[in-house]
Amino acid sequence: MSAFAAILSKDLRLELRSGVSTIAMVALAMLVLVVLVFALNPGVARGPEAAAGALWIALVFAGMLGASRALMAESENECIRALLISPVDRATLYAAKLAASAIFMLVALGAGAILTVLFFNLEFSGALVRLAPILILGVIGFAALATLLAAISGRARGGELLLPLLVVPMFVPALIAGVRASTAALSAAPMATARDWIGILVAFDVLFVTAGYLLFEHVIGQE
Amino acid sequence: MAAPIVETHALGKSFGLVPVLLEANLRVASGRAAVIIGGNGAGKSTLLAILAGLSAPSTGYALVFGQDSRRLDPDGRRRIGMLSHRSFLYPNLTAAENLEFYATLYRIENPRGAAHSWLRRVGLANFGGERVRMFSRGMEQRLAAARAMIAEPTLLILDEPFAALDSDGVAIMTDLIRTELARGCAVVASAHARLAIEGVELEQYEISRGRLIPHPETVEAPRAGRLRSLLGRPNQ
Amino acid sequence: MGRKLNNVLGAVTLALMVVALWMIFAWVPTEAEQGIVQRIFYFHVPCAWVAFAAFAIVAVAGVFYLWLGGQIWDDLGYAAAEIGMLFCTLMLLTGSLWAKPIWGTWWTWDSRLTTSFVLWLLYGGYLLMRAMLEESGQVARFAAVVGIVAALDVPVVIVSVRLWRTIHPAVLVTRQGGHGLQDPRMVVTLLVSITAFTLMFAWLLMLRLAILRTRTRLDEIARAIAIAEFRAGRA
Repeated sequence: MSAFAAILSKDLRLELRSGVSTIAMVALAMLVLVVLVFALNPGVARGPEAAAGALWIALVFAGMLGASRALMAESENECIRALLISPVDRATLYAAKLAASAIFMLVALGAGAILTVLFFNLEFSGALVRLAPILILGVIGFAALATLLAAISGRARGGELLLPLLVVPMFVPALIAGVRASTAALSAAPMATARDWIGILVAFDVLFVTAGYLLFEHVIGQE
Repeated sequence: MAAPIVETHALGKSFGLVPVLLEANLRVASGRAAVIIGGNGAGKSTLLAILAGLSAPSTGYALVFGQDSRRLDPDGRRRIGMLSHRSFLYPNLTAAENLEFYATLYRIENPRGAAHSWLRRVGLANFGGERVRMFSRGMEQRLAAARAMIAEPTLLILDEPFAALDSDGVAIMTDLIRTELARGCAVVASAHARLAIEGVELEQYEISRGRLIPHPETVEAPRAGRLRSLLGRPNQ
Repeated sequence: MGRKLNNVLGAVTLALMVVALWMIFAWVPTEAEQGIVQRIFYFHVPCAWVAFAAFAIVAVAGVFYLWLGGQIWDDLGYAAAEIGMLFCTLMLLTGSLWAKPIWGTWWTWDSRLTTSFVLWLLYGGYLLMRAMLEESGQVARFAAVVGIVAALDVPVVIVSVRLWRTIHPAVLVTRQGGHGLQDPRMVVTLLVSITAFTLMFAWLLMLRLAILRTRTRLDEIARAIAIAEFRAGRA
């Protein structure tokens, strides 16, 4: 088994056993949606545009939680130091943490997407299928940024505030593109209209996964 | 004499404005064991962290397997085993799963077999399926030792290896250290007070004002464990 | 960069700035459509140019820091970020002052203001991160990474915001934001203003960099003293 697979399966196994992170993320996603529904009038909180916006807000907040927890899982008993001493590449560690965060986020957002369709009075027919690849792209981009930056914010006292302040502005392009593409997916619009937005998402992902892969070694380790 | 496994040259480390190590010089050859003695905050753990490649020195350098400790390649890192203050174990994984995980990272063939064999060696064969969060401190320490040695390291870094061990645990740890040394491993350990390990010749160093002073005269044992006070025999 | 050179730079900046101000307020003709208010353009555009250029400097300094080491690269990045933040804020303020008479609102999400605002947030995050991690010995590395990632983000922001705003025009999307420079005097004024602002940026950057380098030197001395005292046994 490769190191990447070993670390990823270890994280998945730990999560299955405690489930704390995923439950928290699902709960947070749901809370965000509930708050939005009550904050906006029912006349406003309906339709694909509002739904897409709400879902991506949930993505950002749940993602923040997921990313910091993925790294925090290594702080118990200082396992992170064991990983750093081991022969594992820093970049491989980044990839594994990114993958783990992304998977947890997707689970949470899967639940969130179903709730969104319900709360915002949409049609289920094929909407979720069209939505899935867009959410996957968004989650990968977010996890790429958040995994890299959480290593930095985790070092600061009060770093829970710092992570969103760093991630959210950087995530703006994906947010803009993702919401528009999701709107198209949730309405019956042909996906060709969302082609440009999906292109931006793909470029975003490629750019920041690569950047994180190359830069992670500089933010982890070195006491 | 063959090239030493560990070599430091005027190693210095400051955390911000607080100096901890000044000019630490150390040489440990294959099959030899060095013990660094000092009180809390003296710099033992700092020194060990530098040797493990976790921390970069502020001045001077450390060579491990002839490589700069700051830039150990994966092959070099594969040959280091470390036992730290914290156990490096995942509480929600079983003992066997922990060992298998690390065995896989260290590219050991048949990680499962290695895990079970090491569980036996440290007397935890019956606890392989238990989650580590259920373990007592002594059991954790034994498992952590197994974790450190499972990859057959060439350098063993042991931060207070006998802490929290009962007499059985001490016997097991002593046996493990002896075996590793016989294999040609170099051992760098830290301790609060002068240490004697049965059947093992130790090079003792005291950390004093950031320097390593070999063969100290007498060092107070602030809190000697029952067994350790019995081990006041001279080195063989 | 010697103090004399910095003073010369300062003097040249001052002179050119005076010239630029005269050109902006006295020499250049009033623009036909927007009237006197349009003169803000000659402040706004140079501020924008400097803000983006400073950001690029932060990123490049970060790359050099990670690649070559050397505290000077980190000092340069930090100085550029601080001064850049100043000009970025000015850019937003002048943009807002300009928007009010033209579009009747203090703020609008047109593509350029939006991008500027995101840039401002990126700067803010960088500076906040530095402030919060000052005591960590690793702040320079972290800052380098954040600067690089943020700079990589900027082009994507520009593209996505522009696409967003053309498909969803908000208040008023006349591109009259000031690219119809009919009179050659306007072009000259703009170029002079840009040069003056760039020189001012360079001058402020050098000043700030000198301060940071002095601080680095002081830190080195403090560390050496601490080590000497430690060596002597903290008598």
